[in-house]
This record gives sequence, C-alpha cells and structure tokens, in this order.
Amino acid sequence: MVGMRQNGSAPALFEVDNVHFSYDGRQPALDGVSLRITAGEKIAILGSNGSGKSTLLKLLDGLYFPTSGAVRYRGTPLSETVFNSDDFSFAFRRAVSLVFQDTDVQLFSPTVWEEVAFAPLQLDIPDDEVRARVAKALATLRIEHLAERTPHRLSGGEKRRVALASVLSLGPDVWLLDEPTTGLDPRSQSWLIDFILERSTVGETFITATHDLDIVSIIADRVYVFDETHKIVAEGTPAEILSNHALLLQCNLIHEHSHRHGELVHSHPHGHEGHAAHEHAA
Amino acid sequence: MLSISVPAFVSGVVSGQPMHIPDGYLGPWFAMAMWVVSLVILGLSISRFGRRLSQRMVPLVALFAAFSFVIMMFNVPLIGGTTGHAVGATIAAIVLGPEGATIAVAIALLVQALFFGDGGILAYGANVFLMAIVMPWAAWVVYRAIAGNASATSGRRLVAGAVAGWAGLSLAAGLAGVFFGMQPLLFHTADGTPLYAPFPLGVAVPAMLIPHMLVASVIEGLVTAGILAFVQRTNSGLLHAKDASTPQGAVNLRPLWIGLAALVVLSPIGLLAGGSAWGEWAADEIEGIVGYVPQGLASTQGWTAPLPDYGMSGLAPAFGYILSAGLGILLVVGIVWGIGKITARRTAQGKS
Amino acid sequence: MARSVVERTLAGVTESLEQSLFAEEIAREPGALQSLDPRVKLIGFLALLLAVSFVHNLWVLVSLYCLTLILAWISRVPLDRFVKRVWLALPFFTGMVAIPVLFNFVTPGNPLLVLSNSPYIAITEQGARAAAFLILRVGTSVSLAVLLVLVTPWATLLRALNVLKVPTLFLLVLGMTYRYIYLLLRTSSDMFLARQSRVVGRMKAADQRRVVTNTMGNLLGKSYDMSQEVYFAMLSRGYRGRPRTLDQFQMKPRDWAWAAGLVTLAVVAVILGGR
Repeated sequence: MVGMRQNGSAPALFEVDNVHFSYDGRQPALDGVSLRITAGEKIAILGSNGSGKSTLLKLLDGLYFPTSGAVRYRGTPLSETVFNSDDFSFAFRRAVSLVFQDTDVQLFSPTVWEEVAFAPLQLDIPDDEVRARVAKALATLRIEHLAERTPHRLSGGEKRRVALASVLSLGPDVWLLDEPTTGLDPRSQSWLIDFILERSTVGETFITATHDLDIVSIIADRVYVFDETHKIVAEGTPAEILSNHALLLQCNLIHEHSHRHGELVHSHPHGHEGHAAHEHAA
Repeated sequence: MLSISVPAFVSGVVSGQPMHIPDGYLGPWFAMAMWVVSLVILGLSISRFGRRLSQRMVPLVALFAAFSFVIMMFNVPLIGGTTGHAVGATIAAIVLGPEGATIAVAIALLVQALFFGDGGILAYGANVFLMAIVMPWAAWVVYRAIAGNASATSGRRLVAGAVAGWAGLSLAAGLAGVFFGMQPLLFHTADGTPLYAPFPLGVAVPAMLIPHMLVASVIEGLVTAGILAFVQRTNSGLLHAKDASTPQGAVNLRPLWIGLAALVVLSPIGLLAGGSAWGEWAADEIEGIVGYVPQGLASTQGWTAPLPDYGMSGLAPAFGYILSAGLGILLVVGIVWGIGKITARRTAQGKS
Repeated sequence: MARSVVERTLAGVTESLEQSLFAEEIAREPGALQSLDPRVKLIGFLALLLAVSFVHNLWVLVSLYCLTLILAWISRVPLDRFVKRVWLALPFFTGMVAIPVLFNFVTPGNPLLVLSNSPYIAITEQGARAAAFLILRVGTSVSLAVLLVLVTPWATLLRALNVLKVPTLFLLVLGMTYRYIYLLLRTSSDMFLARQSRVVGRMKAADQRRVVTNTMGNLLGKSYDMSQEVYFAMLSRGYRGRPRTLDQFQMKPRDWAWAAGLVTLAVVAVILGGR
C-alpha cells in the first residue's frame, strides 16, 4: 500500500492546474487551486463549510468546468466538448463516481432497487448483468431487505448505504465522497470507514471532502487543506496536518477551546486497518 | 333556479380543493376525446421544452410538479374565515414558461389522480386540458402582456402575476362549466335523464365561473403575487432563468390575444353544434366529438377555430346558453384586458 | 376556537403522509389482488372503470359497486375505512351538486313527488335517476381508483404503466415527482412548525397569507436548487437523456385467469348495461 502512493513518476489520475471557478461570475468558489492525485491513493480534502471542497469534487466529476485553468483526467482536459463524445463520457462515468453529501439529491428513484440499477442501466450494461450487479451491491452493503423500499422512509444510515450501493453497482475505480459522515451515528460511521478501507485495498481511489477531523487519519494517506479564501493552503500526511494546530485554527477547522480534536491529533494514524478489522469482528 | 344550485356549487368550489373533475361527470366518449387532445398538446410541449432544456428537463419538471402538488395542499386565507387552495400553474408558467408548466402540472395531476384518488382517471384528459394547458397558457399570455419589459424586481410584475393567476383559473373554470353543461346535451337516455353531469350550460357555466372569479381565482392571483414578491426579495435569479422560461424566438402577443378571444367566443358554438339532435343521442355523441376535437386541436394550430358547417340549426334552442357562456368568459377576458391597459398606461406615464 | 390556516395545512400534510403509510401496509398484506401481476390489475381496473362509465342501467352500476366491495374484501382491505375514505370525500362536491338535480326546475320530467303546486315544485323521476347515476358513477370510479392504489405498492404501479406504452421519459419524471413530493411535504411541514412555534396569538388574514406565500416562495427556491443538484447526480451516474428501465414482471397462469375474468366482467356489464 505504502509503496503505491505518491510515486512521483506514476502517471497522474487527476491533475488540477491553477483552477479558478465561480458560480455566475460572482464570488470565486475556487481561487487558483492546483493538485495532483495518482491512482490508488486515499486523499482527504479538508476545509470548513463553503470553502470550495464540494465545488472541487464536482469539477473532478466533470459536472462543472473551470472558469480558467484546467482539470485533467488521465491527461485529458475535462470540458463540455469532451463529454459530448459518447466514448469518453461512457468511459469516464464508469470509472469516476461522486457520492453527494445530500442523500436526498443522490437518491432520486422511486425505490432502492431502481436507484441501484440506475447507473448500470444508463451505461448500456445488459439486463441480466444489471440484475446481478444490483444484487451484489445490495448484498455488499447488507441492504437486500430494503430493495423495494422508498428512499423517503429510510434512516440516515440506510440512505447513506443506498447512496454507496447506487455507485458500487457501477464498479467505479475512483470514488469522490462529499462529507460522507454527515448525519451518521457512530456505528454507521465505523462501517463507512470499513467500506472505504476494504475498497481501497483492491486499488480503488478515494477522494473524500470532509471537515470531520476524526476520520481523516483513517481514510487518507494524504491531505489537502482549503482555507476560507477558497485556496489550498497546505498539503501533507494526516499526521503532519492534524498536528498543525495553527493551520487548523486558521482554516476554521477547530476553535480555540477545542480539546477533543487536540487529543485526536495525538492518536496514532498508523495501524488503523488492523483497528478497523478488529472493530468489524467485534 | 340559480338560487339553489349556485350555492350548492359555490360551497363545493369554495371549500374543496382546486376543481378536479372526478370520473362520472363526463361521458366516456367526451372524456376520451379530451385524452386525445391533451396527449397531443402534452407531446408537443415535451418535445419543444425538451429541445430547449435537453437532459435537465427531467429533474426540473419533476421538482416543479412536486412543488405544484405540495402547494395545492396549503390553505390560503382570503377574508374572514374563507380559505382556499392554489393550483400553482401560474407561478410554474412564469418560471418555466407555458410548455414547462403544462408538463409539470400534468404530472402533478397524474400523481393526484393515480395515487391519491383526486380527480378522475378517465377525466384526466379533461383535467389536463383545463388546468395544465388552458390555465398556464392563458396565465402566461396575460402575464407577458402586463409585465412587458418591466425589470425582474418591478412591482408591475406582481400585478401581472396576480391578474394572470386570476384570469387563468377563471378561464379554466368557465371552460369546465362549458364541459359540464355539454354533458346533458350529449348524453341522456330516451326519456331525457342526464347520464353524467346533469346541469344545462346556463347553470353550469355561471356556477363554475362566478365562485371561481370571487374566491379560488383570487387566491391563485394572490398566491402568485405573494410568491413572486418573495422570490424578488430573496432569489431574483429564478425570475430570469432564461433557458427555462423563454420559448424560442420572440413572441408577438397580439395574435395570441386575438386568437384566444376568438377561441373563447367560438368554443361554446363549436361545442353545441353537436347537440342538435336531442332524440338520437348515439349519432349525436359522435357529432359532438367531431364538432369538438377540431376546435381543441385548433389551440395548437395558430388559434384559428373553424366554424363547423353542420348542425347550425340546433343552435336556436340553446342560444341562451351560448350567450351566457360566451358572456361569462368574455367578462374574464375583458377585465384582464382592462387591467392590462390601465397598468400599461400607468407605467408609460411613470416613465415619461 | 377555529384552527389557524397553518394548523390546518399541517394537519392536511400529515394526513396525506399517513395515508400513504396506510396504503403501503395494505399493499403488503397477503390478499387476493396484492399477489397479482400489477399489469393485470392496471388493465383489469381500467376495463372496470370504462364499464362504470359506459353503463346506462342503475342496477348494473350498483352491481359494479358491489364488485369493488367484494374485491376489497378478498384483498383484506378494512371495509369500513375503505368505504369511509371514498364516501366522506364525495358529499362535499357531488352530494351538493346532486340535490338540485332532483327537482323539476333542473331536470324536467315525470313527477315522482309533488312538493308544491304553485309554484310547481316536484322531484322528477328523471331527476332522481340523474342524481343516482352521478353519485353512483363517481363513488364507484373513486372506489376503483382507491382500491387499485391500496393493493399495489405505487412504485410497482409505476413500473406497470410501461405496458400502457407510457414513454420512459415520462415515467422517470413521474417517479421522481412522487419521490420528491414527500421531501417537499416534510420540508414544508418543518417550515410551518418552526413558524407556528414562533407565532403566538391570532394573525390577520393578510399576515397569514404572507406566511403561507413566503413558505411557498421558499419551497419554490428549494425545488429549483434541488432540481439542479439532482441533475448533477443523474449526470454523474451516466444519464444522457435516454432513460432505460427493466421489465421485472412475469405473468403466471393465475394472472392470465384474473385478467380474463376482470375484462369479461367489464364487457358483460357494458352489454347488460344497455349498450
């Protein structure tokens, strides 16, 4: 695992090059952002609410396009034009998938089964394989019993599982997760972490936007930090970032009287996989 | 005779939901003809709106349909203890444009009919025609005529929205009255027993039109203006979501206005042409449909309703009905026209 | 003291949320209609609905209503709630409308009961039958529509609409609408609750109206923003404006038998009903 990451010579999965972005020409949502991610990495994008994390994920997913600068996916700059090509669009959507922060946005189908079947159906996968993929995704997330349920009567944790299943059925190589722990109880949080760790052992890339410092050291090998001026101000290992009290304070990720986070900074970021497996068995 | 039946209708209209025609009020052939007319217009709306919005259409229409459905449940106070419900077709027409509103309201009506038993399934075509086609189109025409080129946050748009809502629903209600009034003419047994909605035109049209003009349409108007005022304050970007609300090309409103007025005047005549033979209702049913469908379709074809060249002799006994139906609907158009003129003059004076 | 508009709206919203819960419970009962292929139910009920509309004979209409009661009974639908839900909603409009129809001044004809000779007021035979036609037709039609929804989970019903050649695009919108109605209902009920807890005492109608229209405006903005986000969520999972769905139904011999039975009943009703 460790050997795979941050190999300078490995081709980049995503290259973000001095990207500026604003909604309707108003305040910038991203102000000169650059970063580089290689396949198989676990990345956390840390920042307070409204700092630009969600916008960055949408740019990485080819939903928005930069006002200036470039977002390159395996060397191809993402633009409206490249998505007009069915071939590229197909390949990209199969490989990269975004799990939205708001599960009510992500879950737009009348039932869980249809939700999970949506992506494979759109990507012209044959009927029988769609059925098999849906069954497998539901089984992996242990939500077979929810198949015929409607999303609006699920709990927060159940909705999050369905949201992940709806992407899992697609079999992406790259997961973009936007605030995945929002509204989760502790037990749901711990299976979510297990889920990320399990998938990343088979080489899938995870890019997680979050302001939840508790999970950063477990779900990331490398961290980018946004400040409130929509710029990336730091990059480093979780240990480096989480021990930088001044940085966290400046980026509004902790406040003066925050002791809890202070403690967590000292909890060891290594060996978490064993820790997770242990929890799993318990 | 009005003194008894009108209060009965009024209480029904005032206390109930916006008027959804249940199954049982319309004869099956009539209902099916309305299905055909509405499906054709719905299909045209989907292709025109879809061309403008491509893939974004699905979530936009779905959310607006859900919105329209939900606000139909809100109790809106008028004066004293009177409350009522809005249809929401007017605000949908203003934000999405008339084609988008047609699709959104048609979907909201389908959910109501299928899943909540509100409004008939066979009568769905007629309900779509009235509330998803006539109402948003009429409201949109009125809104555009009064609002003119006023800025997105101008007070004139509030007046335009209020009048548009009032006029759109009043027109739809008047036409619903015409639909009801046609049933006893078209469908009755040999001894004269009406089989479906039993009121003659002379009762049905004023009974639908007057209470709507006084209550439900007023509420639709107030709600439209209220939502517009709120959106102007907080979210004015919504009002120039151009890609969604502006149909392709510039729209010259004058021919539309004249066409609408002509259609309104001609519709009762066209409808009645089929009701000539009172005894032989089997033949007369088909005539009724034939006499009806062309004028419904005409609304999509440049608003030129042809005068049917048959059955004119049957007009004599029904002349009073036509007169009342036509006058009632003309009244609505007249009031709107008047308010439009006054606002236009006021704004012109304000500018000079 | 009369309840405020906000309270009444809240009650209405809550009721419709509960109603759908009730419907889902019944749809999961192991009754006769529940286990049928939804396409059979759709076609069968549509045939019955048409029959109700075409029949010109009161007794056949009464029989058709009894048929819906029997169908409800063998599907374990609580009859009292079923009858109440249909008939309590009806009198408001149809009942009121039907009263004047009885009399000679609306429906001229053979007198059944003369109430006064000058002026001449009488209940006519034609009037009584016209009122009966109206009420029975409306009641039976609504019963059929309500029953269909009670015995079929709505998502299944939605999928079954595919057989009627409803375009997939339309079905996609319809399903999404249904899903988001609940979200918007819940959102609006939260907004009203928040408002209610802040406002004490009575407000003037104009102020109440402002509260209601502001809530609507708020909801409109939310709906619009939501539609943008949902569009992204669809795009992200490969949507390109060409929706595709899977047909998951399989007709069993029992389904064919029911389909034939329901359609035959409808045809017989139309023949007996004087056509």
